[in-house]
Amino acid sequence: MSQFALLGNPNTGKTSLFNHLTGSYAYVGNWSGVTIEKKVGKLRHQTDLLVDLPGIYSLNPLSKDEEVVTEFLLTDEFEKILNIVDASQLKRNLQLTIQLIEFGKPLIVGLNMVDVAQSRGIQINEKKLSDILGVRVVPIIARTGKGCDLLTKELTSDTRKKSPGTPTFKVDYGFLEEIIEQMSELFPDDVNLNKRWMAVQYLEGNKRVISYVSQHMPNTALLEQIKQEVEEELVKRGYAHSLRQFIYHMRDKNITHLLEQTTIVTSSTKTTTTDMIDRVVTNKFLGLPIFLFFMYVVFMLTFDWLGTPLSDVLDGFMSGPLTTWTENGLHVIGASKFIKDLVLNGIIAGVGGVLVFVPQIFIMFFLISFLEDSGYMARVAMVMDRIMESIGLNGKAFIPMIIGFGCNVPGIMAARTIEQPKERLLTILLTPLMSCSARLPVYALFVGAFFVNHRALVVLSLYVLGIVVAMVMARIFSFLFLKKEKSVFVIELPPYRVPQALTLWRSTWEKGKGFIRKAGTFIFAGSVLIWLLTYAGPHGWNVEMDDSFLAFIGGVLAPIFEPLGFGTWQAAASLLTGFLAKEVVVSTMNIIYHAPDTASLTGVLSTQYSALSALSFMSFILLYIPCLATVATIRKETASKKWTYVSVIYSLVIAYIISLVIYQIGGLFF
Amino acid sequence: MNLTDLQQGKTAVVSDVTKLNDIVKQRLIDMGLVEGQEICLKCAMPFGGPVMVEVCGQCLSLRRKEASRIGVS
Ligand SMILES: Nc1nc2c(ncn2[C@@H]2O[C@H](COP(=O)(O)OP(=O)(O)OP(=O)(O)O)[C@@H](O)[C@H]2O)c(=O)[nH]1
Ligand SMILES: [Mg+2]
Repeated sequence: MSQFALLGNPNTGKTSLFNHLTGSYAYVGNWSGVTIEKKVGKLRHQTDLLVDLPGIYSLNPLSKDEEVVTEFLLTDEFEKILNIVDASQLKRNLQLTIQLIEFGKPLIVGLNMVDVAQSRGIQINEKKLSDILGVRVVPIIARTGKGCDLLTKELTSDTRKKSPGTPTFKVDYGFLEEIIEQMSELFPDDVNLNKRWMAVQYLEGNKRVISYVSQHMPNTALLEQIKQEVEEELVKRGYAHSLRQFIYHMRDKNITHLLEQTTIVTSSTKTTTTDMIDRVVTNKFLGLPIFLFFMYVVFMLTFDWLGTPLSDVLDGFMSGPLTTWTENGLHVIGASKFIKDLVLNGIIAGVGGVLVFVPQIFIMFFLISFLEDSGYMARVAMVMDRIMESIGLNGKAFIPMIIGFGCNVPGIMAARTIEQPKERLLTILLTPLMSCSARLPVYALFVGAFFVNHRALVVLSLYVLGIVVAMVMARIFSFLFLKKEKSVFVIELPPYRVPQALTLWRSTWEKGKGFIRKAGTFIFAGSVLIWLLTYAGPHGWNVEMDDSFLAFIGGVLAPIFEPLGFGTWQAAASLLTGFLAKEVVVSTMNIIYHAPDTASLTGVLSTQYSALSALSFMSFILLYIPCLATVATIRKETASKKWTYVSVIYSLVIAYIISLVIYQIGGLFF
Repeated sequence: MNLTDLQQGKTAVVSDVTKLNDIVKQRLIDMGLVEGQEICLKCAMPFGGPVMVEVCGQCLSLRRKEASRIGVS
């Protein structure tokens, strides 16, 4: 069994290929920085493993996702590198290929996007390219799977022979060669990395390699001195401004020469579809309005036009036929009253009450997947950059936030691509304020009871409330602790692509699956627990709800929420359980209020809440605490207990203040 | 002349990237925006927002402040 590593520039189709070769459904999208962690899969019909990695431009990492790759190269075991290059961007992609060749491991080049290259009039003689580089070059189209079989064959065939895949191409760094030689001899013998590669990376200023070297060598003063001297010499002779530039330039010269021999460009100057779409979508005046309109359509489709009718149908089924069948079934098998109650009032009420929202959540995920795979995502980042800059962030931070509307967990992970550590931290802290799909059921329930005529408007304003609070908090946080760091923004805008139906469906399903899985785990367990807590009380089993343990626990906390307008034990109990997952709030209420379906639940609710306290409650749900899974992700991504506490505490405080303001100020008017 | 002086839709050749902030510089070089490359200013966002440029058939976006530090001729 051997392990192969997929490496290449961002957005060149590595993950698409990975999915094809391993039969997985990893996250694909049309912007740079989709993959942010290492992922291992087993090659189809083989025992060998393939590792998908984040995209990188060079081996010197700037952001967290790029660090993952350099770390992998330095510390992990693997036999071969599969370098994916974008055939339509060869010049730029080969910069990385050269660094990988220097790394010295056997290497195969997957020449991807040959369809795109062809449509741009670029013809590549892959035979010649292969001869010059001294590696196998396999043209593929990762999107359709063309050429993938050949690639698998190449990949797995000759691992056992005497490394015929080891490349022969070598860049002559001219006057640096002598220095490289000299440094290579200084490196200790116990490191099993290619010394020439290490020397070049050291000279280029690769921070990770420099720290690696200093871990293995007691004294690097001499190396530092050599590097400094040669850099001064370079500048003095007027070759370049810096070592890095010089090395880049030498590689570039080789690449240009290589391309002259291998590619023919029959340049076409016709305007592409991407150009045409961009003329409208990134128009100076229309850019922002178009984005807002797009978000409005997403919202309305999810919540109003399509989602709600579908959910109603599902609700009808759950509360009608499903409940009757289950009741009959339980009767036939002679279940005890306890089991009947547990299943009907606990599980069906709790889990079913959440599952009815599956259509809405899938619609939202579908639209987000569309946004991701079309190429519009990067444009949104650009359009939003000016606004984000004014709150101390950059446009790239908007991508995690949009993803956060689906689910906060991948949103927070996506912040890895942000270069500046403090901007990244800020993005992680703010993403939970984006109203994720799990909060939607709670809103739907309450607007159904209190704002029947203004459903969409009320829910939309909650989404906006989340965004506004995030912006204010960004200002406050950046004032408090981010003053010095400079914000940077550079992003690539990929060509638009029509998303493939299969990919779209897969990524929708991969996201939506989480929701259904949660229903089977957290929400199921939560429902059973809550039902038990309502069934049992200090004075025995099968007690009145108001004498149950749950009423007791909720009652202790209830007075805290009195000023916010929902000081009942029921509200307090559901908030407490909502930390597990926000949908559990709905399950809890379904169980507590003993409602057979959503319609009757909304009826009961209107006796317990007023319109104003409902609004205050929904705002509180939106803001009060990131759910358990999100807190765990924040802990992992920030690697800091302190910031995890900060994220929990500040959101509780903000939620309390906002709800207080809504209820108290609103009370003056209504 | 710097990049922001360029008229929308016009092309020039990059002549100087040394004045850029380090991180931005490395990113732009990685993306192929280097001295001697042709560059086309595609559009600029309002209120001093970022600009969109095309280099080697690839569109990039960067802030106007940074764009003004890129010399072109
Ligand atoms: N036309 C065309 N599009 C492709 C091809 N391969 C991949 N794509 C598309 O390119 C986009 C990026 O694909 P990914 O597989 O996510 O790229 P990646 O290299 O994993 O990207 P990062 O994880 O961001 O580094 C997707 O929209 C794919 O559908 C291809 O051969 N031809
Ligand atoms: Mg990927």
